[in-house]
Amino acid sequence: MNVLITAGASPLAQSLARALSREHEVCLTDTVDATAPSPFVRCALDHDAATDRLVAGRDAIIHLAACGDDSVGGADSVGGAGDVGRAGDAGAADDEVSANRLIDAQTRRTYNLLLAASEAGVGRCVYAGSLNIYANCPDEWAIDEQWRPRPSTDAPVLAQHLGEFVCREFAREGRIAVTCLRLGNLRQPDAAACPAADPAGLAEADAVHAFACALAAPAEPWGVYHIQSPLPDARFSTAKAREELGYAPRPGATGGAT
Amino acid sequence: MRVLILGGAARLGPYVARALQDEHTLRVTDIQPVETSHEYQRVDIGAPDDVLRAAEGMDAIVNCSVVRPDRQAAFDVNARGCYNMMRAAVTHGIPLVINTGPHFTLEGSTYTAFDYEISPDAPPHPSTNLYALSKGLGQEICKVFTENYDVHVLCFLFFSFRDHDAPEPGGNHPFAITWRDAAQAIRLGLTVDLAALPSRCEVFNILADLPHQKFSSAKNKRILGFTPQDLLEDTWRRR
Repeated sequence: MNVLITAGASPLAQSLARALSREHEVCLTDTVDATAPSPFVRCALDHDAATDRLVAGRDAIIHLAACGDDSVGGADSVGGAGDVGRAGDAGAADDEVSANRLIDAQTRRTYNLLLAASEAGVGRCVYAGSLNIYANCPDEWAIDEQWRPRPSTDAPVLAQHLGEFVCREFAREGRIAVTCLRLGNLRQPDAAACPAADPAGLAEADAVHAFACALAAPAEPWGVYHIQSPLPDARFSTAKAREELGYAPRPGATGGAT
Repeated sequence: MRVLILGGAARLGPYVARALQDEHTLRVTDIQPVETSHEYQRVDIGAPDDVLRAAEGMDAIVNCSVVRPDRQAAFDVNARGCYNMMRAAVTHGIPLVINTGPHFTLEGSTYTAFDYEISPDAPPHPSTNLYALSKGLGQEICKVFTENYDVHVLCFLFFSFRDHDAPEPGGNHPFAITWRDAAQAIRLGLTVDLAALPSRCEVFNILADLPHQKFSSAKNKRILGFTPQDLLEDTWRRR
């Protein structure tokens, strides 16, 4: 397949590119320049011919959305993880400008990308959602994909909830098949600091594996899957992903997640 | 109450100002100049500082802002504008926001192509129409804020507006209302007992008492005490 990966400057996108290049023709894109292991096209995902050219001829898009865009918080926002604990209260004006940029990236740019892709005949999109939309829920809840999201107003969390909202409408109309992978808190393989145990942790290798599984699975009009690493006290069930996508994370490959 | 009107230059804005002016102190805002006898501020709803400043000292916000065709502006105003509005409401402790939009903010083509008695309480299906989806995102932002803060949002959905004194034959539309009735609904929304609402985010189909029954407006009278005075018979009665 010819696969386009957005947020190409982010570590997750680059790891995905390295892994998927073994089987697929991969191109990375981002709103900022980046050194990349695969062909790279800088694109703002505006409503213009550049976005149309970007999606032409693709079979699939892996949409990591705002990840890696230094105007929206940089690579720390990869996969939407890591910001759960940040205060949601109104703060300085800079915070609100940053929040606006995140929301713009997940709404307008996602809309531009998916509309261009659907008009170009791209068959499917795998969208990187976030399990942080459940971060406010009680720990004792056995949450799976049937549970309604309860996002906070924390900008990274709210923005990813809205990105998923946009994707769902495209899928509902049958314009493009969308698989939404709600990712746990992503940890890079070389994470130096090992934070307190995170029951929603997701090793990068497991995230890459999940995207590969999603690309290989039959394209359903719309599917939501919870993705995290197999931890002893895992916060979320990945049973649906295991059953329907063949997600089989490696025990012990949790990086800094435990 | 001190009421902030966002989008005061939009078509609904002046009707709302007239309906509210005898009972409330108004601050009318828009990115465009507004001819008004009330306090005016120029506000770009896509600019967080503008909205934060405009909301200071207010008791309620009525959002009439809207952009339809331009993609960048539609998301800036219809989606991000709601984020800035709700953040400002939370910052200033404003307990009530009335947000407005077209019916397909929530009730898009996957409902309207198939169903009747479409309820404002159905899950949102705005579709991928730019206007509908950008407004739908704005309403979703409002809802998320009400689930995280002690702030109430009444979402008033409209579609086809009519002049009460200029009958317009034809246009047999199942979701229509006169401008003055629409403004009266907003006036009543500001008086609602917030503690008695079923939730902190309630949606209303604001339309005349039309016989089509394509859309349900049953909760308007029950919760808002709203009975539209204009029946728009010229639009739906056979001649």
